[in-house]
Amino acid sequence: MKLNTSRETLLKPLQTVAGVVERRQTLPILSNVLIAVSGGHLNMTATDLEVELIARTPVEGATDGETTVSARKLMDICRALPEGAAVEISESKGKLAVKSGRSRFSLSTLPVGDFPLVPKIEGATQFSAAAAQFRNTLARTQFAMAQQDVRYYLNGLLFEITSNQLRTVATDGHRLSLCDCPIEGKIAKPVQAIVPRKGILELQRLLGDGDERVAVTLSDNHIRIELGEAVFTSKLIDGKFPDYERVIPQGNMKRLVGDRETLRQALHRTSILSNEKYRGIRLKLGNGTITAIANNPELEEAEETVEVDFTGEAMEIGFNVNYVLDVLAVLTSQEVEMMFIDSNSSCLIQPRGEKDSRHVVMPMRL
Amino acid sequence: MPQFPNRIHQLPDHLANQIAAGEVVERPSSVVKELLENALDAGARQIEVDIEQGGVKLIRVRDDGCGIIKDDMPLALSRHATSKITQVEDLERVSTLGFRGEALPSIGSVSRLTLSSRTESDERGWRVQIEGSVPSTLEPQPHARGTTVEVRDLFYNTPARRKFLRAEKTEFNHVEEVVKRIALSRFDTAVRLQHNQKPVYALHPAGDLKQMEKRVADVCGAAFVEHALRIDFEATGLKLSGWIAQPTFSRSQADLQYFYVNGRMVRDKLVSHAVRQAYRDVLFHDRHPAFVLYFELDPALVDVNAHPTKHEVRFRESRMVHDFLFRALHNVLARTRPGSTPNPVAVSDIVIPTAANAAPEQQSTFVYSSPPSGAPAQVRENMASYASMFSAAQPAAELPRTSESPPLGYALAQLHGIFILAENANGLVLVDMHAAHERVTYERMKQAHAGEGIVSQPLLVPVTVRVSEREAALADEQRDLLRAAGIEVDRIGPETMVIRQLPALLRDADAEKLLRDVLSDLVVHGTSSRVMDQLNELFATMACHGSVRANRRLTLPEMNALLRDMEATERADQCNHGRPTWIQLGLGELDKLFLRGQ
Repeated sequence: MKLNTSRETLLKPLQTVAGVVERRQTLPILSNVLIAVSGGHLNMTATDLEVELIARTPVEGATDGETTVSARKLMDICRALPEGAAVEISESKGKLAVKSGRSRFSLSTLPVGDFPLVPKIEGATQFSAAAAQFRNTLARTQFAMAQQDVRYYLNGLLFEITSNQLRTVATDGHRLSLCDCPIEGKIAKPVQAIVPRKGILELQRLLGDGDERVAVTLSDNHIRIELGEAVFTSKLIDGKFPDYERVIPQGNMKRLVGDRETLRQALHRTSILSNEKYRGIRLKLGNGTITAIANNPELEEAEETVEVDFTGEAMEIGFNVNYVLDVLAVLTSQEVEMMFIDSNSSCLIQPRGEKDSRHVVMPMRL
Repeated sequence: MPQFPNRIHQLPDHLANQIAAGEVVERPSSVVKELLENALDAGARQIEVDIEQGGVKLIRVRDDGCGIIKDDMPLALSRHATSKITQVEDLERVSTLGFRGEALPSIGSVSRLTLSSRTESDERGWRVQIEGSVPSTLEPQPHARGTTVEVRDLFYNTPARRKFLRAEKTEFNHVEEVVKRIALSRFDTAVRLQHNQKPVYALHPAGDLKQMEKRVADVCGAAFVEHALRIDFEATGLKLSGWIAQPTFSRSQADLQYFYVNGRMVRDKLVSHAVRQAYRDVLFHDRHPAFVLYFELDPALVDVNAHPTKHEVRFRESRMVHDFLFRALHNVLARTRPGSTPNPVAVSDIVIPTAANAAPEQQSTFVYSSPPSGAPAQVRENMASYASMFSAAQPAAELPRTSESPPLGYALAQLHGIFILAENANGLVLVDMHAAHERVTYERMKQAHAGEGIVSQPLLVPVTVRVSEREAALADEQRDLLRAAGIEVDRIGPETMVIRQLPALLRDADAEKLLRDVLSDLVVHGTSSRVMDQLNELFATMACHGSVRANRRLTLPEMNALLRDMEATERADQCNHGRPTWIQLGLGELDKLFLRGQ
């Protein structure tokens, strides 16, 4: 394998894939990146056995071949070279030589055959979606995923695919977020899949802010998403996601409508004096106003009143303020609706005028 | 030929006694224990114990108790003969140490036993011998008031037992341990122990607290008393008194633990659990606390007939007893802070005589009117007098400091960014800055949390837990207790529970494991502090991260503020992990280092 190219051509795909490589490894091959040149394309692949990322770049005048070298070291070298520098890489006798100007590097390689690759995905559901909408859907739900919960199926994001929409759902047992995204594709029957937390975070980073479409392929064990020059593959979590429909409150509820940003800022200010550890905050709903009250073990207190559209019976409810703030931060609508039943029941938050995302937050007994 | 089945027959007395001896008499020390208990039950004020060859050759216990009436002497050596109880109701309220009437005949069946005695009213003493279960006739024997039991050639007729005896020294150590236990149980009785004609202990009757402490020091070592905290606690008819060692004076083995229930030494699971709980966040990992404690309660509330050696007891109100013990010890341990306790760490054995804070203040004003565990029958009366004393002693614990300078003095400098050097009336004080600040932060967090109560977080997705039917029933029953801990559960099947609510601080904990742990605690101990434990663990971690670390330069005002905080903080003598936070280097010790005044 031999390749003459610029620093940027190498660095961009490297940076795309390097995020999956774990810093500490028990299996040495996993800290390496697979570099393959064939048919005028450079493919770089990195994996942690759960998530696999492939980045493709067209190259000219290259000799085909493949090898694996330490992802971190190669990236550090490329990054340290001057901008726009010409780089030559060539592989011989188990070493990868990197030359640029008067710099010479010789990196050790590991056999390509040892590099674990995800097998071809078969028997799959396929669909496509606009990248911007897809990204938005992930952003509105991923924050509610559980982290290292013993209920392993909560440590990920549920993808539910029906004939013309993708619904993502995340819950950590205390709050739940749900968002819909229109898709195109032939869906024979509704499918559910849970994508692990790490994959979702990696995917979000990958999606950037391009305008293209993403192509999604789903098999029993894997999900593959192709966007532009990158291919993302992740294992799925084998488990049954809780029946999320049951926890979304329905029926006759007290409705509060308020300006989202005003509410968010008021809660944010109040939260400064809430208990650092469990972040409790009390909300008092009155005629046309909502008052947020927080106090902490040092007996400090914060209170702020916001004018809202509310005409129900007065009530008081406690929350972990972070849960409410998380929701208000990801929504984009001008106004939000908050629906309450009573101070012991969950609260539904949704953007006003949009029906595609819903958020449920459990109250706290303060 | 058909085998005839063996005929059933009554065992001869001698054999029956030997079998009983197997339970009661295991080694010389068990003989000593039985004889000493008999002496105490006879109301002895002075007991002499002579041992030869670790007790194998001779055990002689001589007391000045009430003695045995001449005609009763042969009877005393037969089985199930006792003066201590007369009817079954007495078993409900056993107030003597022995009561089964088994000791003497059992011992007599495996040794050559001589019993001599004289009562107050008799003109002369009498003697009876027993060898292999057959009492000899009574012979006159000059004897002072009281009883002497001489046991020679123990196990001479049971070679199997004899073979299992250890070296003379080991056997004597066991005997010594028994004598120690008895000596600590009755301060009003003088005890002398001789081994091979050499005196080992000569303990005088102890009337006041000072003499009692002298006896404890003789038995448990002077270091124990120096680092002991006096405890006196009474509530709802229960009373706990004695000494517990500061957490920094811990042992690698559980070998300095004496617990008396109504004057009877016990080793009980419930008791040790309560003690461990009390020492929980002050004791260094894997260390054992040292204590000499006397617990008194109505004899009707405790069953001592639970175990042949009477080492275990059963409490009728076990949860109440557990709570009481825990609370009493916990309160005392909370006092381990600078200025209210003796120097937490023994830098050396030199005692620096300064009035300011060499001894716990509350002791100086304490007047003792009776020994802590007189005859249990008198417990009732004693309690009344204790109660009055206790209320009198209470304000003393909060005595204003007598010396001008605070106990930890004023900071001089910081050493390598790790230690604070301070000067007080006694000399130099070294403080581990991180350890001290960690404890201060930790106690503050616990207090703040206690003020708020437990905030609970209902779960949006309830957690289903499979449990055993017994656990489920228990959880149903103890719903209130669980709710007080911030956990709400529902039973949705015979073996299935759902957790609907958890303490907000533990929302990321493993709910299933938490519930299981709590339930298993409830099964074993009838109470669970698991949720509190987990919260405390969380606070400990938070405190560790939120405290000043090594290499942080502190100014003098900052250091002084920390010293004042330590004086005001409970348990400030140890960090959260039980390590000491400060030590005192007295002027005397410093002088010694420089060979001054020698």
